[in-house]
Amino acid sequence: MSHISVAELKKANPGYIRKSMYGPQTPTGLPAMRAADLPGMVALPVQELFPDVPKAIYVEGDDLAPIRKATEAALANVNMDMIKPRSTVNILTSQYGFMIMGGWAYREMVKTIKEVVEQRTGCERVRLRIATGFRLKEPEEIIEHYELDKMFNGKALPALYIDQGIEIDTPIGPLMGIKRIYDADFIIHAHHGELRELDMHRMISRTMKPFSMSYARFETRCVHHMNFGPRSSNLIPRLIYESPFVQKKFTFGIFMAASPQGVTGIEAGNDLMPIDRKLALLAFKSYGKIRELYNEIKDCVCVMDGTGEPRYMVGGGTTFGNLTEAELDLFDLDAVPVSLGFGLYQPPPTQPKLKAVNPAIRALVMNHFWTGVPQMELATACPMILVGQEMAKLVAEDCMNIEMIKKVVTSDTLPNALDFAKRITGTDKVIAFDGAYGAITCSESLAELLIKQAPVADRRVEEELMPKWLRQRGFDPSEAL
Amino acid sequence: MVTIEFQAEVIPAACTGCKKCVWVCPTEAIHMEDNIAIINKARCVSCQNCHGICPDDAIFKEERAEPLVLGVDYKSVDQDQIAEICRNSNIHPMQWLCLCTATRCREGAAAILQGAKTPEDIALMTGVRSGCTVYCTMMSLRLLKGAGIEVVKPPKWRWYDTTQTLWEFPEELKETYEGYFLDEDKDVFRKF
Repeated sequence: MSHISVAELKKANPGYIRKSMYGPQTPTGLPAMRAADLPGMVALPVQELFPDVPKAIYVEGDDLAPIRKATEAALANVNMDMIKPRSTVNILTSQYGFMIMGGWAYREMVKTIKEVVEQRTGCERVRLRIATGFRLKEPEEIIEHYELDKMFNGKALPALYIDQGIEIDTPIGPLMGIKRIYDADFIIHAHHGELRELDMHRMISRTMKPFSMSYARFETRCVHHMNFGPRSSNLIPRLIYESPFVQKKFTFGIFMAASPQGVTGIEAGNDLMPIDRKLALLAFKSYGKIRELYNEIKDCVCVMDGTGEPRYMVGGGTTFGNLTEAELDLFDLDAVPVSLGFGLYQPPPTQPKLKAVNPAIRALVMNHFWTGVPQMELATACPMILVGQEMAKLVAEDCMNIEMIKKVVTSDTLPNALDFAKRITGTDKVIAFDGAYGAITCSESLAELLIKQAPVADRRVEEELMPKWLRQRGFDPSEAL
Repeated sequence: MVTIEFQAEVIPAACTGCKKCVWVCPTEAIHMEDNIAIINKARCVSCQNCHGICPDDAIFKEERAEPLVLGVDYKSVDQDQIAEICRNSNIHPMQWLCLCTATRCREGAAAILQGAKTPEDIALMTGVRSGCTVYCTMMSLRLLKGAGIEVVKPPKWRWYDTTQTLWEFPEELKETYEGYFLDEDKDVFRKF
């Protein structure tokens, strides 16, 4: 149990914000003020709350050498014999990796993969593919920002869900990959192990999910999200991954493993199944506890203040989506089912509300975020205050949330927006999703609550929830981290 | 009702005539003249596809002089027929057809009953596919099939006809894929 007091807590250190055409076009492309600079905001270290959460080898701002070293070590045991000097190889990446802690750790992992593959196989045709969610120009922004074109000698290309498709034969019929993803003899699946959207993957075939998302045409993303259920949908990526088409090209998977502390290591292998199990165990131990702690919050104001769309913005090393559903134990495979197709359905009044925004979130202050994903439920579930006219313009022109601007109000500055939010909600508990790992950026009052309740969350996970999560997935209890 | 405030606009000097925008436009609003993309404003629902795929940054978004208002009143058609199309499609009428525009599947079914034969028709009648263009395409295809309409894949890759659902999952494969809750998830949908 932590003995830290609120008085000892230091000023928070928010994550890097990358400029984008999808963000508010302020004079600098950045917010005028960060949430961490608001009076009374502190950094509550995750380590103090849960000392046994796996520790980081890297957090934003650190030297990148440990990432390189860990990537080299992980690749040492990977078979690359199938890659010949004249083979073509695509390293497959996803946009979200470049959002984690400024993106530099993911970039370093990708750079190291390229160099190790070239060195070990003599192959000089290693190319990069960058997939995206909904923001079609984001891969181009990533290539430019991280100088990936230079790194890959002009062979770094976006892969969009509306690009030409390629049929992949599976036991349920053809599913559609993006042709540019698979336009090589071999593919390297370079992903991350952050929890991100538990409501979708439920920690079932987690490592394979990009095969029906990032690397797939939109029809197949829909088959996954809309046409299958909350748990069964996770079979779709496995069917694609195990297809003869993909297996013929697949070399190995490599993952930047993470906990709320930061990057905890690099996992790689020619078979994704063992990595899947490792990442699940890591997630139970780390994100499981943070989720439970967030479930202890009964009222708060959230300040969105980072790179990307709110759902995937990070606070305390955990995405906002995990707070919006913290009241549901989504690791529990018997728990309330949520999926996009099902969750988007408005149930009758007598049925439990699905895909609710956690009622503990009393108001949202939008200091900086990107558009590019349907997210109307945020504006309709609780009061939303936009900061600045540039943010208002961004929301007004957002084609994916066509009515959102009618449901929100705008304030001129962040302090004014927060004052207003506190006044209408009656709470002084504030949490910022500002990209920080290793610490939760929050108000002193919320820090006090979280320090007090961390042992409750810890005990619940260790004694009640973890054994169930393990049992449901066929793990032996002794495998728990 | 969906109110479209913007429209796509081409910078002729920047357009290289690659046609990528033509192939991804969800409402067939773009054609080529002398290797320059031309937008049919009456059909443009201002999604992001043409701008997003353009390799030459030749397309931008411009405010319309007059908003384009699209929508189908589901109450104007036989409710039993809506229910039947939805039932055949294994879709609840209240499921979202399009999250971006907050349009329900019952409106898509109503559009079909009013004559829509393709996802493009449904888009131009209801206003869906004016946002991400992703989920609404799938639901439109399923509704059309549920209404017994044969869908024909358009040239190139605006969409592919792959609409597998949980309901069609082969019985003989269920044992192979234990742990994915295939039958249980079906029950989840059935509850409603």
